[in-house]
Amino acid sequence: MAMTEPSVSRIEVSGKPPFYRDVTVVKWLVQVAVLAVVVFVAWFLAKEAGENIRARGLTSGFEFLSQPAGFQVSDGIDDNPATGGRALWVGMVTTLRLAIAGIFSATLLGIIVGLGRLSSNWVVNKVATVFVETLRNIPLLVQIFLYFTILSGLGRVSLETGPINGWFHVSNKGVAIPRVKIADGFYQWLVVMLVGAVAARFVYQNRRAEQERSGGDAFAFPIAAGVLALVAVIAWFIHPIVGFLESPLRWISDLLDGIPQVAVQLALVAIFFLAAARFVKNFRDSRRTPAGMAALTDDDWFRQIFAFVAAAMASVFVLVVWPGLSDWIVNSSSDLFGVLADKFGTNPETGLDRSGAPFAGERPDIVQTGNFPNYGDSGLQMSQAWAAIFFAVTFYTAAFIAEIIRGGILAVAKGQSEAAAALGLSRMQALRKVILPQAFRIVLPPIGNQYLNLTKNTSLAVAVGLADVVQVGGTINSQSGKALSVFAIWMAFYLACSLTISVIVNFFNVRLKIVER
Amino acid sequence: MENSQPTPLKLEPDDFNVDYTEEDFAALPPEEPSLAPAEWIKKNLFSSVGSAILTFVFGLFALWALRGLFGFTFSNERRWDAVATNARLIAVERYPLDQFNRIWVSLGSLLALTGLSMAFFRASGHFTVKRISMWLMNLGVLGLLGVVLTPGATTEVPAEVEGELPTFIQDSFSEAIGGRVVWIVVSLVTLGIGLAIWYGLGEDRRRTMRVASRWVITAGFGLAVLSLWVVPYGQYFLEDGVATSAPGLVASSTRIPWTLMWVVFAGALVLGLALRDRLPVRPPKMILGLLWLLAPFILNWIVLRDPDFDYAHVFSTDIPMALAFMALGGALLFWLSSATIGETGKIVSVVLLAFSLFNWIAGFFGMYPMLQKARFSFLFLGLFALIAGNFSRDRSTRMSFVYAWMGFMAIFHWLVTAVNSPSTLEITSDTYLGGMTLTIFVAWLTLLVSFPLGVLMALARTSNMPIFRLLSTTYIEAVRGVPLITILFFFSVIIPLFLPEGMELAELAAVVVGYGLFSAAYLAENVRGGLQSIRRGQFEAADALGLTTGQRTSFIVLPQALRVSIPPLVGQSIATFKETSLLAIIGLNDLLRVANNTIPSQTDFVGSKKEGLLVVSALYFVVAFSMSKYSQRLEKRLGLGTR
Repeated sequence: MAMTEPSVSRIEVSGKPPFYRDVTVVKWLVQVAVLAVVVFVAWFLAKEAGENIRARGLTSGFEFLSQPAGFQVSDGIDDNPATGGRALWVGMVTTLRLAIAGIFSATLLGIIVGLGRLSSNWVVNKVATVFVETLRNIPLLVQIFLYFTILSGLGRVSLETGPINGWFHVSNKGVAIPRVKIADGFYQWLVVMLVGAVAARFVYQNRRAEQERSGGDAFAFPIAAGVLALVAVIAWFIHPIVGFLESPLRWISDLLDGIPQVAVQLALVAIFFLAAARFVKNFRDSRRTPAGMAALTDDDWFRQIFAFVAAAMASVFVLVVWPGLSDWIVNSSSDLFGVLADKFGTNPETGLDRSGAPFAGERPDIVQTGNFPNYGDSGLQMSQAWAAIFFAVTFYTAAFIAEIIRGGILAVAKGQSEAAAALGLSRMQALRKVILPQAFRIVLPPIGNQYLNLTKNTSLAVAVGLADVVQVGGTINSQSGKALSVFAIWMAFYLACSLTISVIVNFFNVRLKIVER
Repeated sequence: MENSQPTPLKLEPDDFNVDYTEEDFAALPPEEPSLAPAEWIKKNLFSSVGSAILTFVFGLFALWALRGLFGFTFSNERRWDAVATNARLIAVERYPLDQFNRIWVSLGSLLALTGLSMAFFRASGHFTVKRISMWLMNLGVLGLLGVVLTPGATTEVPAEVEGELPTFIQDSFSEAIGGRVVWIVVSLVTLGIGLAIWYGLGEDRRRTMRVASRWVITAGFGLAVLSLWVVPYGQYFLEDGVATSAPGLVASSTRIPWTLMWVVFAGALVLGLALRDRLPVRPPKMILGLLWLLAPFILNWIVLRDPDFDYAHVFSTDIPMALAFMALGGALLFWLSSATIGETGKIVSVVLLAFSLFNWIAGFFGMYPMLQKARFSFLFLGLFALIAGNFSRDRSTRMSFVYAWMGFMAIFHWLVTAVNSPSTLEITSDTYLGGMTLTIFVAWLTLLVSFPLGVLMALARTSNMPIFRLLSTTYIEAVRGVPLITILFFFSVIIPLFLPEGMELAELAAVVVGYGLFSAAYLAENVRGGLQSIRRGQFEAADALGLTTGQRTSFIVLPQALRVSIPPLVGQSIATFKETSLLAIIGLNDLLRVANNTIPSQTDFVGSKKEGLLVVSALYFVVAFSMSKYSQRLEKRLGLGTR
């Protein structure tokens, strides 16, 4: 077809195309148009929501955070929260406790089952396989309901019984086990431990250098661990000496409190524009070749302009749309340092004494106040709902982690274990020094993903009435109808959790990456 | 084991019975020579002292767990009649009994489609006779273990003195065994059949003789149906809240339709096999694929739900409108695809697209009324006009482009009319589905919604256009950061707040949108993994051939990327299926909610939760497990994941 009209196409190619046929222009026009549509739809929906909310006599906003909560929260750090904000905080702590406990136990169980899946012993292999295949193919919610129902059907608490009296109780009120509790002196102890960790690291590096020099085993890790243990014991007794930290933290808190709102706004605006400028500078640097500056295409110009447009939009947001944001930043960072200051020193005014032991051990107890005995305050108690969701997320995630571990170990090339054997390493040595480090590198990202899933899955606690952040938010929503605000808080909370886990996993990921030449 | 390194097989073609393909070789599990029982036990259970200890400890653990499971299942506290009575509730919830033929027709159509597809797609693998005989032996041993391990029944003896607690007497071991004769006989027969197959065939034959899995499935289904005619399961009724039961075979209203279902399935399979070699290869597969795509629409909105057509409206508005769009739009497209139109065509199509987008804005502000169907049609017309230039060749190409438009319009208008008469897309009716059907429906719709969206977002995230990348990355990360339940709450509670006056959305529709948007973010990440595995050279080769960006994406990049993403996509489908259980939390009557809330609240079965929950677990397990096994097979077949 092109053969029949060669002259036409040649004329078109030689001339500069009209602007609406220019690829760059069209590309950017389409992008900006889509962005405009997205912004328009968001604005429109927000407007509609505002009107609907007003029409139904509801209000939006976050006033409920400081208003009385008016409901009780079960299984949290505070049964009777004073304000809505406090109630949400209690819910968040419950979620975090579930997530952290679940992550630890699921990892442990997952590793055991994953190794079992690789065992050459037929019975172990089959037991592990049945565990994995059953638990990962039944939906988590079904498991939660099932465990909850089974726990509800257990016998009553009584003063004598419990599988191990005084240590381990199982009943229809849930499960109770001993626990170690953070006591008053913990934060001061932690600071001393940080100092000890620096010292241990120094010793470790010293021993490693010695090992490099002499070639013999210098026991770097055991010695460093010993130093840390020693510091832990010493810190138990001497931690009150860091109590002086209270006053500088208090001073920073007061200092932050005095910053005017305008200063923060201006600082934010400056940061936005500096970031844009930095982006443009880096961008131009990347286009710089030894022969001089490369010619910038239209696309490149659009990018640079858009960087500044984005900075301007962010500035408008900070200055005009939501000026309260700057105030909030100042106040909350001031509060943060205030809270930190409370963790140190002995304050006669508030009656706080931080010079006690850092930890305290507790055994579960059973008390009888009314007609029926019940668990007392001591020890670690899991209510039915707590135990159901805890075991469900642990088993469910452990099944997935087991598969990841199995896959990771199988993925280490066979030549590696053969080479280790050829070097004369024993089977344990080969596993510890050759196979596992490589397998760890492979399994880390997917396991991090499982941790994220576990954290999000704890939100199913709402199904059995455990007061996690979703359940408390739902209660607040049904009381005050502030669905949007509650949803924003959920989103911010879970995004923060996800980001934290991602950052931790990425940190190890980068550490473990193969260093390439 | 399936995870050991595949070893090359030395097989002679004569060893095989019938049709096998190259892929079947790849899918064959590697086989080690079978050992004598004593050797096997020594190698796998007692190879060293540590291994012997492990065998002992884990063996005891396994026996303890089995005893617990059997004790739980056969305890006389269990009210299995709660499940048996409410089987219909679990399957379809409150679908009217006098309309039940619609359910059977739907199920039958799906089974017929399955049978035909199994024949035509040659998708079913094989099971070696060795494997089948091992299943039978395992089943027999499990049955015998159950006979021995299950605790005896307990009977309650009322206290002689008034006011004391009753005592419980448990049957002795011999009494308990005495009551399980049928059980013992069935287990022994199963074990015997397995052993007979194992030892009746030599080592070579039991390894090389294979049975196509479609026949195994047909036989398993057939045996289950046959058991309805033989085994006295009993009859269970629930009338006016009172549960009654009678011994004997199950009711004929269950037996006969299920037998018919089996006949339909097996008939379709046999028919497909007979036709397979007489028909050309491609067209039947394409027709079957299309049917799979359309069948759920038709079954759901035509068969299961009588749409109650307003025929006056259909004839006065719907049909003329569809015809107008087909004819006028076709003429416009024919003109736009002429070779000499040049820039005018581009401008006209852009104006058309702008107009169709403005229709939506005008709709939001209520400037002028327009049927939702017309808005969509204009939008599609604008999109078709954009690509019209690609067809500016000879007359027949242009005509087939116009035919494609007409066919598309016909299907679209018919679907919209079928979905919701009179002719809007606002689905506001209450759901008439429940139980298992609701679960399947939501899972299937979710996949349908999320697949195109996910692919689109994966493309946006990997494109070199910064704003698209930013938007899609923000969306994907934000959605992946929050739990599904909050999104479902958001869509069932907040979406009604967002919608302007006059627009409404049924709760189920809102929830499906929530599921779809959530699933799309995860799907996009799976597809992105596939997209990133495409080598640079493929892009460069496509550019060198002079393909446009659209052609490069749809003909070169996406087919390869999607092939790589098939296993994670199947995994995502399984996850979606399991996630439908969250419907129970937001108050829709899926099968989990029926088991957890509806059954325990019936007066006759107060508190019987465990039974229903166990059955629901088993249902979920069977579906998810078979899907994951199939995906493993698919992965091997595609040769993915091998290093």
